Amino acid sequence: MIGRAALVAKREYVTTVSSKGFLIGLLIMPVMLVLIGTLVPRLLDAQRAQVRAEVAVIDRSGSALDELRASFDPQALAARMTAGARGGMPARNASPPVLTLVERPGSADIESEKEWLLADGKQRAQRAIVVVHPDAVERRPDAQEFGSYDLYVSAGLRDAAESAIRESVRQALIGARLKASGLEPSAIQAAMRVSRTNATIVAAGGEQKAQRGFNRALPFVFGLLLFVGVMSSGQTLMTSMVEEKSSRVVEVLLAAVSPLELMWGKLLGQLGVGLTVMSVYVGLGILGLSQFQLLGLLDPALVVYLLVFFVITYLVFGALMLAVGAAVNQMADAQTLMSPVMLLLIAPYVLSFFIGQAPDSPFSIAVSFIPPVNSFGILARLASDSPPPVWQVLLSMLVGIAAAVATVWFAAKTFRIGLLMHGRPPNFATLIRWARMA
Amino acid sequence: MGAVLELEGVTKSFGEVRAVDELHLDVRRGATYGLIGPSGAGKTTVIRMIMSILFPDRGSLTVLGRRSALEAKDRIGYLPEERGVYRKMRVDAFLAYIAGLKGVPRRRALERATRLLERLGLADSMRKRCEDLSKGMLQRVQFVASIINEPELLILDEPFSGLDPVSVRVLRELIAEEQQRGATILFSTHIMAHAEELCERIVMIHKGRKVLDEPMAALRRRFDTRKVRFEPLDETADLEPLSRFPGVVRMVRTGEGCELELAENVDAAGIMRNAAAAIAPARIELARLRLEDIFIRLVAADGRGLEMSEQALRTHLQGLGNEGVAA
Repeated sequence: MIGRAALVAKREYVTTVSSKGFLIGLLIMPVMLVLIGTLVPRLLDAQRAQVRAEVAVIDRSGSALDELRASFDPQALAARMTAGARGGMPARNASPPVLTLVERPGSADIESEKEWLLADGKQRAQRAIVVVHPDAVERRPDAQEFGSYDLYVSAGLRDAAESAIRESVRQALIGARLKASGLEPSAIQAAMRVSRTNATIVAAGGEQKAQRGFNRALPFVFGLLLFVGVMSSGQTLMTSMVEEKSSRVVEVLLAAVSPLELMWGKLLGQLGVGLTVMSVYVGLGILGLSQFQLLGLLDPALVVYLLVFFVITYLVFGALMLAVGAAVNQMADAQTLMSPVMLLLIAPYVLSFFIGQAPDSPFSIAVSFIPPVNSFGILARLASDSPPPVWQVLLSMLVGIAAAVATVWFAAKTFRIGLLMHGRPPNFATLIRWARMA
Repeated sequence: MGAVLELEGVTKSFGEVRAVDELHLDVRRGATYGLIGPSGAGKTTVIRMIMSILFPDRGSLTVLGRRSALEAKDRIGYLPEERGVYRKMRVDAFLAYIAGLKGVPRRRALERATRLLERLGLADSMRKRCEDLSKGMLQRVQFVASIINEPELLILDEPFSGLDPVSVRVLRELIAEEQQRGATILFSTHIMAHAEELCERIVMIHKGRKVLDEPMAALRRRFDTRKVRFEPLDETADLEPLSRFPGVVRMVRTGEGCELELAENVDAAGIMRNAAAAIAPARIELARLRLEDIFIRLVAADGRGLEMSEQALRTHLQGLGNEGVAA
């Protein structure tokens, strides 16, 4: 039996991995990630570099103009951008916005000045008027708060330009207020700056620098890998089965192999395909981490767990997809049967991110033992900051293996009957009836 | 010689429908058996049970001395009624794959495949993809796949279905070669003419039940038509003298000439010689045994074919206008 099943598996594997579709599918995820990681920020920066606006300033306070000039200075704008003034974002290699200051008298009439915003009838005019309140730099004697400023903008002013203007005015007013109070703005800013540092995780096994971003992403990445591996193999398995059935080659095969040998051969062949996909992605991940000297952050045991739980999850979903493929005559008929299977696959994959955030919550622990989603749950927890105890991992593994055995048994029963069935596509109730009949 | 195939009271139902009912069958080694009956009679179900693709609800079967064909698939060749190929696969790869599944080493499989394909006029198709072959060529490739392992038992389910006359002739020759090689052959067909030509023994099935299991020679004796068909060269010739020949019981006029019904123990060859001497013939022949006539007679006697009219049964048996009957 093993010899024939191995031959079927070999053909299944070779045919799949040598197809153009497989190579495109395999490369599409890393290419997408590279594109998202490199091209998209560049595109965004390219848009930011185009930010240009004219800003008319009416300083009714009479003491903010110097700071406004300094704040709108191209070098200051560039420095703020480099420092990632908003949200502590890392510096990016992009051109700073160009904001041209147009100084107007402090006594200028705002109503007539507004005409300037409409000037030339340009639809996309990039213009703004900033009117600094008289008490924006020095409070009125009876007031708790400083005054602020009014901002008038042309209809076409871009959000990025408005944000840059607001940030520049904010910085200018803070600077002017500090100076008016006799304080040195640069000293205050230095005093306000506390650089962020990574925590050191102290555990029984030793100390490790925590990488919160990495640790937060890892459960999701593992969920994604599991999802992509199972999906790519399972879908190919189902498609090839439907093709073999619709092209009537299946009975030719049954002349040489038993239905069980055929099923195991196909299942194992696509398991090989899935493991290849996983190995490529994990290999690329390890390569990426080693490039950034971050390899130490990935526990090798996690990779082993990933592969073990992949095999379990694949057997559960692969067997179901194979049973569906054997039961229908064309791909369109498979959609109805596949909907609940897909839901069972997508839901835990989406949840894996949240499980990684709260790995010790009752929900996360419960999910780790409910097949067929337990693999996603336990893997997300394993990849989180707070991994589960070993007994929970082993129990989840046992639950998964039991589910895989049950699903393969069910698939084997329905497979044999489904292979020779033609006509109206069955529903799940029919599949269960077949399993009882066989 | 021992039995290659034994079925004992095999029964199979699909829901309310009993597809095969208490079937007993012994296929002797080296013989060619025809499993015949109209479409839906249960032939394919019987074959699928023999091949362990389906399993009987009741009864037992032995294939090549084993309790299941699963234990002897390497020694069996099977051409299913619903047959296909991997369209993107090359012919040599497809044949080597099927041969591999049957335990034939790749090199030996390719040697045999080359020889058989040459024999079938497909020598230059070895390296082609299956999707590049015509339907007739594919059918030949599929037949090659079924005998690539030089099987002891060859099971052919409607082998001539959908074939053009040239392919039918080539396939008949190949089946004859397999017979000469010593293979036991069981083939199903609803076209009786094929069974008449190829089979040593006929098994008739109707509604899942066996209604006949006899050697062809015995059938010829038992259902000998004792008729001579005569067609004169001169359409205006007087045929009446033929009715007065000794041993002629009755003469029936037909469109082209007449049919002479002969008495028992009369030498048909002598009657034919005398008739040809008396009136110049355009055609003179001994009426052939027609399995479909036997089938209709048996089904009518069995009382189970009454739901279907005789004409409908004949249409089934003749394969809707003699489909695939070779020249």
